[in-house]
Amino acid sequence: MSMAISAKRVPKNDRSSNTRARWKSDQIAAILFVSPFILAFLVLFLGPAIYALVVSFFRYAGYGSMTWVGVYNYFATLQYRLFWIGLRNTIFYWIAHDIPMMVFAFGLALIVSNRYIQFKRFFKPMLYLPQLVTSVASALIFSSFFGLEYGVLNTILGTKIPWLQDVNYTRWAVVILLIWRGVGYWFIVYLAGLTSINPEIIEASIVDGANSWKRLIYVILPLMTSTLLFAFVVDAIGSLRLFTEPNVLMAQRGGLAPYEVAPVVNVLFSSMGAARFGQAAAVGWLLFLVTALISWLQFRIFRNINKE
Amino acid sequence: MTAIPPSIARRSLLLDRFIVKFTGYLILSFATIASLYPVVMMVINSFKIRSEIFNNPAGFPRDWTLYNYNNIANFHSGLMQNFLNSVVISVTSSFIAVFLCSLGAYAFSKYQFKGRDLLFALLLGTMMIPSEILIPGQYIMFAKIGWLNTLRVQILPGAISVFGLFFIRQYMLSIPNEMIEAAWVDGAGHFTTFWNIMLPASAPALGAFAIMHFMGMWNNYLWPMMVATKKEFQPIVVVLPQLVDTQIGFVPEWGLIMAGAVLSTLPIIVIFLIFQDTFLKSVVIGAVKG
Repeated sequence: MSMAISAKRVPKNDRSSNTRARWKSDQIAAILFVSPFILAFLVLFLGPAIYALVVSFFRYAGYGSMTWVGVYNYFATLQYRLFWIGLRNTIFYWIAHDIPMMVFAFGLALIVSNRYIQFKRFFKPMLYLPQLVTSVASALIFSSFFGLEYGVLNTILGTKIPWLQDVNYTRWAVVILLIWRGVGYWFIVYLAGLTSINPEIIEASIVDGANSWKRLIYVILPLMTSTLLFAFVVDAIGSLRLFTEPNVLMAQRGGLAPYEVAPVVNVLFSSMGAARFGQAAAVGWLLFLVTALISWLQFRIFRNINKE
Repeated sequence: MTAIPPSIARRSLLLDRFIVKFTGYLILSFATIASLYPVVMMVINSFKIRSEIFNNPAGFPRDWTLYNYNNIANFHSGLMQNFLNSVVISVTSSFIAVFLCSLGAYAFSKYQFKGRDLLFALLLGTMMIPSEILIPGQYIMFAKIGWLNTLRVQILPGAISVFGLFFIRQYMLSIPNEMIEAAWVDGAGHFTTFWNIMLPASAPALGAFAIMHFMGMWNNYLWPMMVATKKEFQPIVVVLPQLVDTQIGFVPEWGLIMAGAVLSTLPIIVIFLIFQDTFLKSVVIGAVKG
């Protein structure tokens, strides 16, 4: 990395006036600074992305020849029952956890940011704690909670709910896990947004006699729209890529979650396992389309809300 | 606002304040318990012997035991090796990512070169593409050069982050050019200026990004699961769920698994305790990335 340290040194005396413009426009230095990133980007990101696009139009098992199949992989994926079940499950997980999680997170941020509430330095890390537990560890904890005979939950409640045996319960077990682990994250994000609201605005609304509820509806919420939009879009994108939680929660059933509760990324995973790389790539690009569509929809919805 | 008699307004404000305080602390207490309880259970159950977890899954251990932790430390699980794999993968990848991103960010923020803005816009455009799309391409590429079942195949793909480039660039833009010019007047070259002036000046951004990146790598599950099929190369989070499967009788060995879960969580807690403010800042910036 001894690049350009000595490149284009200017004699010492006429520096002060010249350097100002010189260093900035040194093309070689700039290219040397940028190139490691660009090179890595081409090899690790752009190359594989283009390759995935190309391979999605071929049948390819990882060795031997590639057979051109046109849009067959996409067509086959769209006709594949497990793809739709996976997509339905993923969207269910997203919606079922997203709304309660955001309500809890926003509510807690409102409370902690309130001027009458103390011990913020205590509550902040406490509420953020679940994020510090690795996602695999948290799924395992909940897996032990939801056990039929010796589960913590059934022991405490004195029930025998087949959380991990009956897929209708398993769905909700996944949702509970996602909420538990997610609240702290968005709580911190909302708290940062709320504390950045100019206190004079709040002050003014108090002087005007607005109670907490009115202040929330007429003052705070309108100021938080962009943060909220952003949170919902980001969480949607993250949720569509869901993989770890449902699968690890179901680890007792051996490896991956059963298809009734499996997220859509499992289809990509098992296509890879079966060396159907063309199909795996097609699933990836379809997932991207769904993500883009959902983000776009949310932008539209929020824009309409803002207009009113 | 219609005028409200001051006395009534004042009384309602006092009531308001009482309601906020009462319900506020009540809700916060419930939330704290809910967030704490599973973590506490993880720790407590890691100190229980096998038989006690069945009889007493929800309470404090009657006999505290280090049996599970001993088990981790010795051959039975090999978990220490996997833990070290995780450390090597996450730390190396974070260092590479911070280095590459800050080099690039310096050029994008402080230099004028041909095609800069177009290149930057193109890079930003790729942020929308989820990493899952890259998996088939990356997998085939690394399989072809025989890198499956290594640590480097788990380090490199994560070491590039357009978000990191973007975030560090934003921060560097706020650093005044005069600092660079002063270094030049002192006779420093391009790289020396970057290394001695720019990097220290952008330390808060680098730290926040490093923590965020480390968290992402430490939690990474899908990619390592695909490229590391041999146990000696797997990170700890990939091994832990397998322990559920190696059951004696019908019930998983939860004590051991919870000890492993504690082990996998410990480094993050330590980092959090040391860098709490940077850590929480990295959450807010990390949210942009998704």
